[in-house]
Amino acid sequence: MSNFKRLLKRKVVIFSLIVIAIIVLSAIFAPLIAPNDPNTQFKEGLTLQGSPVPPNAQFLLGSDLLGRDLLSRLIYGARTSLLVGLLANGVAVLIGTTLGVLAGFLRGRIGSIIMRFTDLMMAFPALLLAITLAAIFSPSLFIVALVIAMVNWVQIARVVYSQTISISEREFIEASKSLGATNGRILRRHILPHLAPFILVWATLGISTTVLLEATLSFLGIGVRPPTPSWGNIIFENQTYFQTAPWLVFLPGLAIILLALSFNFLGDALRDELDPTQRGRRA
Amino acid sequence: MKNEQLLSISDVTKTFAGKNSKSPVHAVDGVSFTLNKGETLGIVGESGSGKSTLGRVILNLLPPTSGSIHFDSLDLSALSASELRSARREMQMIFQDPFSSLDPRMKVGELIQEPLDIHKIGTQAERTALVLKIVESVGLSPDAIDRYPHEFSGGQRQRIAIARAIITKPKLIVADEPVSALDVSIQSQILNLLLQLQRELGLAYIFISHDLSVVEHVADKIMVLYLGKVVEFGSIDEIFNNPTHPYTRALISAIPQIKPEDRTQRMVLTGDIPSPADRPSGCHFHPRCAFAVDKCRVVSPELLPLTNQPSHSVSCHVFNGDSQ
Repeated sequence: MSNFKRLLKRKVVIFSLIVIAIIVLSAIFAPLIAPNDPNTQFKEGLTLQGSPVPPNAQFLLGSDLLGRDLLSRLIYGARTSLLVGLLANGVAVLIGTTLGVLAGFLRGRIGSIIMRFTDLMMAFPALLLAITLAAIFSPSLFIVALVIAMVNWVQIARVVYSQTISISEREFIEASKSLGATNGRILRRHILPHLAPFILVWATLGISTTVLLEATLSFLGIGVRPPTPSWGNIIFENQTYFQTAPWLVFLPGLAIILLALSFNFLGDALRDELDPTQRGRRA
Repeated sequence: MKNEQLLSISDVTKTFAGKNSKSPVHAVDGVSFTLNKGETLGIVGESGSGKSTLGRVILNLLPPTSGSIHFDSLDLSALSASELRSARREMQMIFQDPFSSLDPRMKVGELIQEPLDIHKIGTQAERTALVLKIVESVGLSPDAIDRYPHEFSGGQRQRIAIARAIITKPKLIVADEPVSALDVSIQSQILNLLLQLQRELGLAYIFISHDLSVVEHVADKIMVLYLGKVVEFGSIDEIFNNPTHPYTRALISAIPQIKPEDRTQRMVLTGDIPSPADRPSGCHFHPRCAFAVDKCRVVSPELLPLTNQPSHSVSCHVFNGDSQ
């Protein structure tokens, strides 16, 4: 428990938690707090020349190139980004942990095959792989999440693999074997509890990677399909107005950076606190 | 009960294949012995003599390369993985370092109860009751069960490890250097606890140690290992009153004596134990032996009973052979 108390003493952690809370809450309560419908094209949202209007009383953050309310689109976009981020990351953690634990615990031929396959996946540039996969499957929210998961499980598998090996070498594992424990029991009762902090750290750090990758894919036009707003595709759609209406690109970019940074800070702080080399400090 | 045979090891060998064309390591080489119920066998030797490997091979934690192990009429090497797991209820192990052999994330109560959970012994209520009883019998206070291992001292942790080992009422416990990680003052407490439990539960021990003075307190029989081979085997009296192999004599002369009149000329061994991957020819001990003759460098001696003490065997050309 004292771990978490110490965690809360860090200013960065407080900042990150607040940012994450704001984004999560606006995603959940989007219909209640969004001032306008995100997909309605307002007549007042465009100037007579057909360009976006700057921030005003009706559109607090201005309007986009089709006259839609940017603030509302950002709020609904948080849903997409978080959903894809959590889903993709959840799947990645699940695959990475399963394969990493199996390879690290079984070792031998099966372990080698799994880890060589992981190395193979690692050798591909992640973005290229994601683009190829996204191009093969027609993009939907879930496909995008799965594509990101396919790219992101690799690092988690690596970390979990080496941790599993180092835990399996510890004497209390042999002690359990000498008591007659089955492999399943050793995994469940002795290896997974020791892996949990590592998985937690990597799951947190992974969210920022997935959010960024989703934004990248959407920006490249192979992510979430319009008109569903996502922070990445808001930038993509409005990039032509980069000079005349910079807020259209700047604000979604800021949202992406804040979310990714917050999860990164949180993950780093968690790692500092849960690192086994620091465990001696625990009372 | 003492005369009922519990464990019979015959010609057990454990070889670890060398990696990258290195020569294989002969950790245990042709060891045979029998152990009766309620008896204690002390296995002594320097580090690298193969004593810990032998302990693990006896429990089949490491499968032997050749040879047979019969425990309580079971042929351990013939058992399936699940049969072997259930047989482990009868044979437990105590490890050297109680700081690393207890899972730091489990409470002491969970740790001690784990063997019962593994072998599905009793109901939950019976398990809890038994844990409390065992905790007391190893000399810990009942509130220990809700605490974590890191809150205890080394001696107390070894008591926890002992509680774990005896809770399934095993017939055999292999104790691998159970006191060498502890302070001298704590060592005797743990040794006395082990002896007391042996009397109460009729346990047989295999007691592995590098320290003959510790083994002297607990063992009925002693086996001296050198580079995986038995160099001398006999009862405690035979070994201490009539040490015959030069290596055994050197080990015994290394035990500190309190009374000056008991001090004898120390027999100091020079050099280190050679690598088990590159053992000397003939008698493996000859490079460090003050009595070595030409035959020792060529022919490996056999473990033969002494003519005047048939239960006491020595593997030496000079002191138990035709080169006398």
